[in-house]
Amino acid sequence: MLAYTVRRILTTIPVMLVVAFFVFSLLYIAPGDPAAIIAGDQATPADVERIRASLGLDQPFMVRFGEWLWQILHGNLGTSIFTNLPVAHMIAQRIEPTLSLMVLTIIFSILIAIPLGVVAAWKHGSWIDRCVMLTAVFGFSTPVFVVGYLLAYIFALQLDWLPVQGFTPISDGLWPFLRTLILPTIALGLIYVALLARITRATMLDVLNQDYVRTAKAKGVGQRAILFVHALKNAAVPIITIVGNGVALLIGGAVVTESVFAIPGLGRLTVDAILRRDYPVIQGVVLLFSLTYVLVNLAVDLLYTVFDPRIRY
Amino acid sequence: MTTPHGGYAEAPALPDVLPPVKRRGRVGTFVHRHPTIVLGGALVGVMIAIAILAPWLGTVDPTALAPAKRLREPSAQYWFGTDMLGRDIYSRVIYGSRISLLVGFSVALCASAMGTLVGVIAGFIRGLDAVLMRIMDGLMSIPPLLLAIALMALTRASVQNVVIAISVAEFPRVARLIRGVVLSLREQPYVEAAIASGTRVPMIIWRHIIPNTLAPLMVNATFICASAMITEAILSFIGAGTPPTIPSWGNIMAEGRALWEIKPYVVFFPAVFLCITVLAVNLLGDGMRDALDPRLAKRL
Repeated sequence: MLAYTVRRILTTIPVMLVVAFFVFSLLYIAPGDPAAIIAGDQATPADVERIRASLGLDQPFMVRFGEWLWQILHGNLGTSIFTNLPVAHMIAQRIEPTLSLMVLTIIFSILIAIPLGVVAAWKHGSWIDRCVMLTAVFGFSTPVFVVGYLLAYIFALQLDWLPVQGFTPISDGLWPFLRTLILPTIALGLIYVALLARITRATMLDVLNQDYVRTAKAKGVGQRAILFVHALKNAAVPIITIVGNGVALLIGGAVVTESVFAIPGLGRLTVDAILRRDYPVIQGVVLLFSLTYVLVNLAVDLLYTVFDPRIRY
Repeated sequence: MTTPHGGYAEAPALPDVLPPVKRRGRVGTFVHRHPTIVLGGALVGVMIAIAILAPWLGTVDPTALAPAKRLREPSAQYWFGTDMLGRDIYSRVIYGSRISLLVGFSVALCASAMGTLVGVIAGFIRGLDAVLMRIMDGLMSIPPLLLAIALMALTRASVQNVVIAISVAEFPRVARLIRGVVLSLREQPYVEAAIASGTRVPMIIWRHIIPNTLAPLMVNATFICASAMITEAILSFIGAGTPPTIPSWGNIMAEGRALWEIKPYVVFFPAVFLCITVLAVNLLGDGMRDALDPRLAKRL
């Protein structure tokens, strides 16, 4: 088990290397010459050349990649072209709203989607099943910002129950914090709920046909115990796999949701960086989000043994 | 044993227990078996027709400015109202279907082609498998939307670049799918027989491998098409997609953003068209998957 864990952790290294290489190439081929930008309009070509040499920009690609990687590993993500602040600093300032939104969405979606999927599988073919499947198809077909605007229009503008936009840090109290995040969480969660409910239903349908479920029924185990103890436990592995994979959708969705609800998080930072072509910031955010995705899926892989003791590595 | 009739006992007439068989024509059977394919396909067909027939559907020039008539509510003259520059939203939405469909279909085609190429190479050439798949793993760990955004940040906004960016973001998943199919096909007796009889590898790939990847590839391409249309709208919405001069659904919604609280219809109409189109393509994909893989039909 320990050997497997170590091996599995080591496999994330080549993956992250590919990500880092891609992200570095992004800056390398990005239009615009950093040396010329720093030198300003008055500089002579000799000045630009001198600055280029001092920044190490005249080095070959692989040398620069190595140096850049070395800096990243020391937590130095570079400096924003636009604000001149360290990228790591800018990311640290913006991380709370995004993290809150994503964690809340994951909790919300799991709490909604798994019972929905279980009931849909149990009442296979009934109207509940059809409703769940229909919601799932709609969830896949509606862009997150459309759901966001629709929710904001109904619950914030028409009914005036919740704030339209903004973010309150958790240090200002739990309720004000949750209030601003309810609509974004539901908007962002819809596609995730669709994904999870669908896979839960599919896996549960498989599991409910197994012999041990029939045995449990035959010996008089209650319906609820069969569903949530016998069946759901055995359906856990595919479900948590999708929870992990779905984080990629969630990250993309968070970028959009934050724009709709004016949440000052990493998504807004990304969108602003793109409009300003602030490449170091884009790099930093892409690296961070990809690392998050890789780590979440690493955790999911390692969780398999907890949910299914039959899996031994 | 003899019977009074000197032959065989007469069997009593059987009651007619089987309900009469409803006869359907070929089309009827297809509609009955695959309602989602028919519904999705019909909707996609309507959308394609709208896109092609855009100039004849009562539209005016979608880019014609009329500052005096800006922000008119939907009415008999302006079915979907006008935007802040006085452009007719109905015409913009109708013409916008061209961009969405173009991006959706092109991405589905490009991503499938790129994915098949990489997948077949990885599945057939053992030495390249590990390297290629690690690269695909790396690309797949960048969330697709971010990957597309990052690529768009590098290039000028144009429909072509949007197609390339979304295709690059989508193709690693196709590659992994096709590699899996190829690996299992390699073990099939007919492929082994072809190898044993000295068929060249390109011929094996062309005759035996490619045809068998088509079914999963097509289903997958449909889902890519749906997700590409959403991604295009999102890219345009955050200002990193199709150039604002081109009326795409994402651009119309992006322009409506500033005013959505007072003039929600600017965002509403393109959103409805986008959702219906994506829904149609998703239904088509679901139906095709069920039809091509009956084992899955009951489940998903």
